[in-house]
Amino acid sequence: MGKFRLGRSENVYAWLFLAPALTLLAIFMVYPILWSLWMSFQTGKGVNTQFGGLANIYRLTQDPVFLRALTNTLIFLIIQVPIMIVLAILAAVALNDPKLRGRAFFRTAIFLPCVTSLVAYSVLFKSMFATDGVVNDTLMWLHIISSPIPWLAQPFWAKCLIIIAITWRWTGYNMIFFLAALQNIDRSIYEAARIDGVPAWARFVYLTVPMLKPVILFTTVISTIGTLQLFDEVNNITASGGVGGAPADSTLTLSLYIYNLTFRFMPSLGYAATVSYVIVVLVALLTALQFFVARERK
Amino acid sequence: MSGVTLRGVRKSYGGLEVIKGVDLDIAPREFVVFVGPSGCGKSTLLRMIAGLEEISGGELQIGGTRMNEVDPSARGIAMVFQTYALYPHMTVRENMGFALRFAGLSKAEIDKQVMEAARVLELEPLLDRKPKALSGGQRQRVAIGRAIVRHPQVFLFDEPLSNLDAELRVHMRIEIARLHKKLNATIIYVTHDQVEAMTLADKIVVLRAGVVEQVGSPLTLYDDPDNLFVAGFIGSPKMNFLPAVVDAGGALRLPDHGDQILPALPASAKLSSGTQVTLGLRPEHFRPDGAAGLRLTVDLVEHLGGESFAYARHGEGGEVITVSTGDSRALESGQSFDARFDPSKALLFNAQGLRLR
Repeated sequence: MGKFRLGRSENVYAWLFLAPALTLLAIFMVYPILWSLWMSFQTGKGVNTQFGGLANIYRLTQDPVFLRALTNTLIFLIIQVPIMIVLAILAAVALNDPKLRGRAFFRTAIFLPCVTSLVAYSVLFKSMFATDGVVNDTLMWLHIISSPIPWLAQPFWAKCLIIIAITWRWTGYNMIFFLAALQNIDRSIYEAARIDGVPAWARFVYLTVPMLKPVILFTTVISTIGTLQLFDEVNNITASGGVGGAPADSTLTLSLYIYNLTFRFMPSLGYAATVSYVIVVLVALLTALQFFVARERK
Repeated sequence: MSGVTLRGVRKSYGGLEVIKGVDLDIAPREFVVFVGPSGCGKSTLLRMIAGLEEISGGELQIGGTRMNEVDPSARGIAMVFQTYALYPHMTVRENMGFALRFAGLSKAEIDKQVMEAARVLELEPLLDRKPKALSGGQRQRVAIGRAIVRHPQVFLFDEPLSNLDAELRVHMRIEIARLHKKLNATIIYVTHDQVEAMTLADKIVVLRAGVVEQVGSPLTLYDDPDNLFVAGFIGSPKMNFLPAVVDAGGALRLPDHGDQILPALPASAKLSSGTQVTLGLRPEHFRPDGAAGLRLTVDLVEHLGGESFAYARHGEGGEVITVSTGDSRALESGQSFDARFDPSKALLFNAQGLRLR
């Protein structure tokens, strides 16, 4: 095969066309990333900073608030992501059934939460899950509970509330990917399995799930990244007196802690940068792990 | 092996009837081909036998038992799809053995069945490959293997060769014919390719718009079609149709060919003078020693090597007539010639398109 070589002038034009985008990327992506890496080695508060080597990393290991934020974030991740992915697959499979009536309505209804405003839905959730909110009232009216659940006041229930909220918001978003993948599967594969006497549960477990594996990997990776950056919900729904992560830091996440370190407390920019690099390392490690688990086995 | 019986079988989607009452008897071990143009309902009919489409009316029996309400998996059938429908994430071995896992067979038994089918289909070297590493023909063999391991009473094939290239199609056609002999199974095979139908079938069912036009052996349909549709559909190149008018004594006048008169046929002798009919002449009915002739001008000649076909017409605006010139390669386009044929071979159809015998 002959190689097509670009002339010198074509090369220049190509770079000229790319220049605006590259400049923006450099200013708003590359520079902050590199600068924050440099900052993560700085100690001190406000503008009073000096190079501290690995002091910030040592501080991480001694900081109970950081450890709590890390634990909370990992709890959200480990519990919420699998629940959401399973729900999204089940919803997609159910809504892919051509015999289901009102498919378009349900698809839209399940997808809509992810286009609502973060703050608006957070405020609504906060009011719905208040001690005398509509959720407690309904559960009591149905005699499922005898006294109101302290959604916002107790650490356990506050975590549950955050998990419910982000699951509600993001399940439909993930479902769309599964629906798209399901519609690409040749229908006759299922017909062949039906004729061959493969029961419905086995068609789901042995055919649908393996065929969705690339999409499961993709949605797991983006959901992992999203959950590690979880901020809006814990800064709004479980905020108390304007401070997020309540009660008693039980819903404090890494992103919220970075925000607090930077803007709420006396600015500790170097340490905040170190915490954000913890998220970077976690994302890299977890993504690598997920790719490893989902690899094609010989 | 079981036979299959259809009695007044119908299928409608809402108000639209796509299968309009099909009656058919398929004997055990018979190779039956459903053939017809796109949208004639042949695939729908097959899917109704498979249980993938509900039967709106009438009765389906397999092996003498009513099957209308029986689950596809309990009908004693196996189906091979046009798209192969292989499980993409499983190896050939797993593809063929997958269904058996749910039939309560032990691992050793499954292995035995799979190996047996792989031997019949010469798939042994491919057992550990995944479908994407196979050629189209190999994939189709795996799909057939997946059907064989279940030892069905009836095999259903839905256009199994349509996705293959021409050479492979001929090869797989022969394989399927051989397999039918070896397995001694009842096979129902859907195709739109009349060559496949002619070469494979014991019995061909010609369908059009949800109605069975004719059922018969390939040569019966070829030599003795019931109507214009079957006459035109079976045979390649197509049969030529010439408008004709019955003259005194049953002689046939061809208005498009200078009012040429052909001697009476047994069927035309019974008709009254002035009746409009259609004369059917296969391209291969033209022979140099024929008693009658048409004066034609060649439009185009196709040389296939062993034989040649001339596409010719009478005058400027006449209908194109396909003439087999045998192994003669002398004709060229623009040339006029006398296309001789034996008038006694011609078929006669009435104005409704029905055969006059």
